[in-house]
Amino acid sequence: MKGEAYYCTAGELAGRGKEDIPAPFQLNAHLIYSSPATLAFNSPGAEGFGVKRAGLAVPGSVMLLVAPGCCGRNTSMLSAMRTYQNRFFYLLMDETDIVTGRHLKKIPQAVEEVCRSLEEKPSVVMICITCADALLGTDMERVCRRAQEQTGIPVRPCYMYALTREGRRPPMVHVRQSVYSLLEPRKRNGKAVNLLGFFSPLDDDCELYRLLADAGVRKIREISRCEDYEEYLSMAEANFNLVLNPEARLAAEDFYEKLQIPYIEMARLYQTDKIASQYQALGAAIGVSFDWEEDRRTAEEAAQAFRKAHPDAAFAIGECVNANPFELALALVRLGFPVKEIYGTVVPESFVYLNRLAQLSPDTRVYSNTEPAMLFYDGGEGEINITVGKDAAYYHPECPNVMWNDDCQPFGFAGVRRLFRELEQAWEQRKEKGAGQDWKQSGSQIPEPNHEQGISERLPEQSGKYNGNGRQEGDGVKGGSEL
Amino acid sequence: MKGLRKYLAPFAPDQSGASGVLYELGGILVICDAGGCTGNVCGFDEPRWFTRRSAVFSAGLRDMDAILGRDDRLVEKLTEASGKLKPSFAAIIGTPVPAVIGTDYRALKRMAQRRMEPEDLPVLTVDTNGMELYDKGEEKAYLSLFQNFAVEKFPAEPGRIGVIGATPLNTGSLEGGRKLARALGDGGKRQVCCYGMGAGLDAVRKASAAAENWVIAPSGVKAARYLEETFGTPWRFGYPGAEALIPEGDYGGKRILVVHQQVLGCCLRERLRQMGAASVTVASWFMTLPELMEEGDAALTEEDVFEELVKTGGYDIIFADPVFWPGMKGFRGERIPLIHFAVSGRLVD
Repeated sequence: MKGEAYYCTAGELAGRGKEDIPAPFQLNAHLIYSSPATLAFNSPGAEGFGVKRAGLAVPGSVMLLVAPGCCGRNTSMLSAMRTYQNRFFYLLMDETDIVTGRHLKKIPQAVEEVCRSLEEKPSVVMICITCADALLGTDMERVCRRAQEQTGIPVRPCYMYALTREGRRPPMVHVRQSVYSLLEPRKRNGKAVNLLGFFSPLDDDCELYRLLADAGVRKIREISRCEDYEEYLSMAEANFNLVLNPEARLAAEDFYEKLQIPYIEMARLYQTDKIASQYQALGAAIGVSFDWEEDRRTAEEAAQAFRKAHPDAAFAIGECVNANPFELALALVRLGFPVKEIYGTVVPESFVYLNRLAQLSPDTRVYSNTEPAMLFYDGGEGEINITVGKDAAYYHPECPNVMWNDDCQPFGFAGVRRLFRELEQAWEQRKEKGAGQDWKQSGSQIPEPNHEQGISERLPEQSGKYNGNGRQEGDGVKGGSEL
Repeated sequence: MKGLRKYLAPFAPDQSGASGVLYELGGILVICDAGGCTGNVCGFDEPRWFTRRSAVFSAGLRDMDAILGRDDRLVEKLTEASGKLKPSFAAIIGTPVPAVIGTDYRALKRMAQRRMEPEDLPVLTVDTNGMELYDKGEEKAYLSLFQNFAVEKFPAEPGRIGVIGATPLNTGSLEGGRKLARALGDGGKRQVCCYGMGAGLDAVRKASAAAENWVIAPSGVKAARYLEETFGTPWRFGYPGAEALIPEGDYGGKRILVVHQQVLGCCLRERLRQMGAASVTVASWFMTLPELMEEGDAALTEEDVFEELVKTGGYDIIFADPVFWPGMKGFRGERIPLIHFAVSGRLVD
């Protein structure tokens, strides 16, 4: 087999516009190449916070996966993590189930048996179903209601339907709705805010916590920091929600309809002027003036320090990252770094950044991460010397790399600071070890949180401890604590 | 309760087995799924994916493809990819989605063969459904492989040995093929072809030249029988080098349970008997062939069946993958880890 990987330059893409995206970038136009990035985004259960992990975001919850065995196969990787031990259960479907639908009748009994086998009753049983039931047209809401009546324990569905990935409610949107669906109306607390969007907390040093505290917010809740079910339920008292990931938008709509809690949406950005504008807009919306100048200054200093230390740094950006790869590429270009290549999926929304990128760096090559000919990608002409993203590490194993896809969520100026700190570390490590990051080791498996030492070992300035559902405790900011 | 698993995550499914057989042979493999099954195959069940790029693709099916049965679109995508990649063959591997919508694999194969470039590019279809276990998928893939490619009769070459069943799922090692070849090679006097794990498509085409085939897992039996019926190649069960999995120790007079795939289990039984074991029971969650079963051997299907076997068997020693240990509560004997990649997803080395 021999050939060439397909790419377009940013200039070419911008010239064609969002109405004329080339076929290799259209997901439904070709077979899907199995790069680490496509496995992560094409499969809602494959790794990271897919549906399975996300479905267990509610404290004290357990999951019953009702599906053909293949759908639960990689869950053994999760089950081995202490956080998820005794939380995954399986009801395996066979061919007769598909023909007769008899597996649905077994669910209430299975839920009962699962609950009986546990020392503590779960707060909720999430029933996870997959493509087979999507095609069978199963009314899982009804099945869950019946199981709930029979067991007296809340039972909720979550849908791991890879088939509907491009639909209005793709799996990762739906699961966010599911995990908040247990909340019931409570008396409003004017000094409480929820952060929606992620299943793990923001970096402890993220300025958003301080800015909200300065604005008089006394309780900032994230589902990943909820200590227990009661604290999770108290998310219903929030004055408003901040949506930090567009996949949580429908969940926020549900909050508004059911609990009359409004929401404000913010994007994760790496362009410091845009981060500043966003905080300004947030301040205007809630009627306060934020002081973020120091945060911006330190973020920009971190970027410039890296640039000064490594003036020849030339980037490749993958899409398997806690960022929009096109926005991140644009941010780096605006900071003065050349971005030679991006591995991504071009959708109409990408053009917000691609058009600007085309003006500043028209020759940046954009490869379709999913197109079959990506099999032939050979690393280009050796002009790249640092990469961001697990997929970028896969394509350039020789370069220093920052995976930038860990559970702890970067956001705002703190995210920019951490990115450049990790880039510096990666560069130094490469110098010491003479090799790039091993994407197989750190990317293919979900890292087990270190319960004894916490993530402070990985992120030296953090004092928090990773605990349970991705929440943190310790001296750092605590979910729901008085600020 | 039938089908309910409380501590055992599902084992490797049939599509992973099929993919594992064909992985190294230079073909384009299309997992007929929406993305999740390919994620499981590449990201979990196929350790070779981490060491080399391969032409394993997801069909990228979406709901309307499945509802409308748009096989023609799949064939179109396959044809286009095949034109770019120039593979030795194309294989379409089934998952629950085509199983639910009742995909006609024969028709799909015919349609693909008609449109494929070049015209004579072989197209294999493996009707796996994600509900069977990996060995069933391996069995189907081996059979399809030999039926499609081992069509010419070559004179049997003395010393040429074929090995069927060597996959990472069975051997638990990226070096599985090399280890088997070394153990069976008699210091280089014999030419050992581990089909799909070391030996490529040319060796498969020349399978009739083997003087003998060794079947190291139940999944290889049907293919071995096919080669015997078609070319007269004799075959035998065996797992060369299996004894290396037995740690040093005193097994004299001990009652032992071995849990693994049946052929390896039986080979370990023979060795343990030679070492003085009083009795050795072989239990498997996978295919159990009647000709290898002895009294007391068990075909496991449910967690409680396994727990009962451990509780009532009176064993002194149990060889099993550590993921089974939660089902051995109350067992006071010795536990010896016997990794099975298809169970735990862990490699032995």
